[in-house]
Amino acid sequence: MSARNAAAGGGDRATGEPTGDVLVEENQSHSVSLPSLMTPTSAAGMTSGMELPRKRKGSMDMETKSASNLVADMKDEEDRSEGEDSQAKIKCFREPHSQIEKRRRDKMNNLIDELSAMIPTCNPMSRKLDKLTVLRMAVQHLKSLKGSTCSFTEANYKPSFLPDDELKHLILKAADGFLFVVGCDRGKIVFVSESVAKTLNYSQTELIGQSLFDYIHPKDMGKVKEQLSASELYPRERLIDAKTGLQVQADLPVGAARLCPGARRSFFCRMKYHKISVKQEDKEFQPSTSKKKESEKYCTVHCTGYIRSWPTSQLGEEGGEGEADKDSSHFSCLVAVGRVHPHVASLVSGVNDVLVKATEFVTRYAMDGKFTFVDQRATTVLGYLPQELLGTSCYEYFHQDDLPHLAERHRKVLRSKEKIETNCYKFRTKHGSFVTLQSQMFSFINPWTKEVEYIVSTNTVISSDHSRTDRSGDKAEQLSNSKASEDDGNKSLPIILGISSTSSTMVYAGSIGTQIANELLDYNRMNSSPSSGNVSPFTVLKDKSPLQLTLSSSNVPNGEVADLEMPGKSSSEEGEQQEHRRPQFPAGESLMGETSQLDMENMMDPGLGGLSNDEAAMAVIMSLLETDANLGEAVVMDEMNWSL
Amino acid sequence: MGERREEGEREIGETDLYLRILGGFVVLVTTEGDMIYLSDNIREYMGLTQVELMGHSIYDFTHPCDHKDIRDNLDITGVPGRSRCGGQRDFLMRMKSTVTHRGRTVNLRSAVWRVLQVCVSRPSLSCVLFTCQPLSLSHTLLHTHTFTSQHSMDMRFTYCDQRVTGFLSYHPEELLGVSVYELCHTLDLHTLTKSHQNLCSKGQSVSGVYRVLVRGGGYMWAETHSAVIAKPRPTQPHPSKPHPSKLSPPPFIACVTYILSGVKEPTQLLSLGQMN
Repeated sequence: MSARNAAAGGGDRATGEPTGDVLVEENQSHSVSLPSLMTPTSAAGMTSGMELPRKRKGSMDMETKSASNLVADMKDEEDRSEGEDSQAKIKCFREPHSQIEKRRRDKMNNLIDELSAMIPTCNPMSRKLDKLTVLRMAVQHLKSLKGSTCSFTEANYKPSFLPDDELKHLILKAADGFLFVVGCDRGKIVFVSESVAKTLNYSQTELIGQSLFDYIHPKDMGKVKEQLSASELYPRERLIDAKTGLQVQADLPVGAARLCPGARRSFFCRMKYHKISVKQEDKEFQPSTSKKKESEKYCTVHCTGYIRSWPTSQLGEEGGEGEADKDSSHFSCLVAVGRVHPHVASLVSGVNDVLVKATEFVTRYAMDGKFTFVDQRATTVLGYLPQELLGTSCYEYFHQDDLPHLAERHRKVLRSKEKIETNCYKFRTKHGSFVTLQSQMFSFINPWTKEVEYIVSTNTVISSDHSRTDRSGDKAEQLSNSKASEDDGNKSLPIILGISSTSSTMVYAGSIGTQIANELLDYNRMNSSPSSGNVSPFTVLKDKSPLQLTLSSSNVPNGEVADLEMPGKSSSEEGEQQEHRRPQFPAGESLMGETSQLDMENMMDPGLGGLSNDEAAMAVIMSLLETDANLGEAVVMDEMNWSL
Repeated sequence: MGERREEGEREIGETDLYLRILGGFVVLVTTEGDMIYLSDNIREYMGLTQVELMGHSIYDFTHPCDHKDIRDNLDITGVPGRSRCGGQRDFLMRMKSTVTHRGRTVNLRSAVWRVLQVCVSRPSLSCVLFTCQPLSLSHTLLHTHTFTSQHSMDMRFTYCDQRVTGFLSYHPEELLGVSVYELCHTLDLHTLTKSHQNLCSKGQSVSGVYRVLVRGGGYMWAETHSAVIAKPRPTQPHPSKPHPSKLSPPPFIACVTYILSGVKEPTQLLSLGQMN
């Protein structure tokens, strides 16, 4: 510093006034505190050659410079390095380089002047500001322009082959969505992007200015209103604590660094869509006038976005449009993207058509063959109401002749991961006739436990079996048929437990499924360790019933035959008792499948005096004995085929 | 008025706006897996910057177990012209993040995996656009049409909040031990299975739409966002006093279910579990 001063001082004396700018530049090193001393008057004074306040200035040739340039130079306090460079250069190339420098400085000064003219905070200032202050104010102004809640500080880089518009369109197209902005106050649609035409079939112009609520399903209006409420820009988020998994109230949002996480909104709602139809019966409905529910089509839209607030002072005249809340000074709106979920309605409509004779229906069976789910089409095909089928064994409806085949299929599906097809078989309808079906089944296996939960079957009608007189008819005929084929039955159905007496035909048919299920359970139990990998709250459950374990473990070859029927029958009896009190969910088909149903009820309803394990076991034994009494026919052990 | 608003948005940059609204970022990937473009807001979610990642292979920053899924989606022959998003999420991908779930910034070496929901589209033959959204563990629940539940890893209910009663008419106690697979419509089995598989392998999942059966009959459309919660291992016990159980508590699944519709076909009985 001192060296420079000395040099400058030397320069002062040595060069006299060859050019004004040289002196000015030399003097720059002195002028550290210049701006604070500067006043317009003194600047003006300089141009007129008056004595400067700063004594250090020395003699100057001011007339050679224009007033503004001089003033600008006087403000230039930080160009010390520039000054140094210039000084060094001056010594080498005085005249040409100084001209270059002058031009550069002039340009810069002009630009800074332009900038200060544009910044509202700079304008009203009575005195001309130094460059630094101008720049500082410009930065502040830009920040405020962009909004207090967000700042895009990083430069936007886009590859040249992907223009901005294209990227935007891609994102929306990929998401099948549209952008919309609605005022939080009344739900007025302030803006909607063109892509709404592709998703909801309304044109952009149709929607802008309308109320969003005209297009929302009546039942979702409350939900949407709540989402629009901007009163809580930072609502207390109900979070799920990562440690406990329970809900907690948090005042501050927790999560990855986000710009304003509290103002985010994400919700689903049903929105009207304009159905364009060529049929004359379908009239193009006017959204604002149509009140008929059946003619209105809705689709589910997933809306994600955020609430944005503008202070009304910035809005000026537009703030008075009625959108702004008069009590507050902010205008809020929801800025969001709506993405259409796949048309939920269309998935249902095909299934809903009860008038047309259905050719296919889907069912779920528990492992033992009991119906646990029937879709609505089953009724048109089979004649039974769902409640008549649910809980009953499918074997009660299969034709005698088909039993062995289907039992074999049943057994196979439990052991296979693939889809199993059956041949055509006859299913007894409510009216006594048979309908020919063919089914595709697979076992649904729990992804975590890898155990079979239930069997899913897609059943197709092959032909309606009304014309076959030898099979149709009342139950008596059926039974007589079964009687006739009794012996055959015994021979051809080695695995079926004595299909003998007429009254218990159905009962025994039901037991087929149970037996098959038990086979699998035994197989599993013998071949795999008890679920040590399943560390779930229900592990305790499994330990709770040692008695039942004992009973079940007797289901090995040479064990009591009657045991096989025990779980199926007893559980159905239990089920019937329980059914009236609470919903009966089918038992989880885990290793403890046959017993877990009882345990389930114990666990779910201890208060109702559910059976204790011992009692449950006793009930099972009792029902077993009852069954024994009903049998009336010895079971042929030898013919049992334990295909493990 | 609309115009002025539009202009205001344009000042910021429309693509940034859209991405901000969606709560995600985009990655443009070649069929070889090179990330040739990423939106700059990736930094908000993953900590990593556009500059750091551009030009690198996506395989260097994603979980090895997800590489197959990524490859399948980049495959020029596999993906049809446009895959549908919104409900049918394309796939889940775990990507390195230098911002932890709690908001702390860490070194790339200690980066955590963040699960992203990725919508895939193909703007041209040579590259694929991934629109990525992080799956947030926290949800802004505004008391409408949602309920939370907890499940064991096999998706049986271990807890359910009271709001479920207003929708499905079951009391929380009645659902304990019940598998979600009993509560869903059979035709949606595949949807839920896929979600469960994602949960088991990636830790988080979104189910897409499915039908949940209502007590007494009928069903409602729903979508469930879920995450595996693994409790941290308890601190090391004193050496002289061994801890009774050295195993950390079992992980469980936390779910938030959005109910999307009213009760459809309330008189239609479908499952055994609906019967009273």
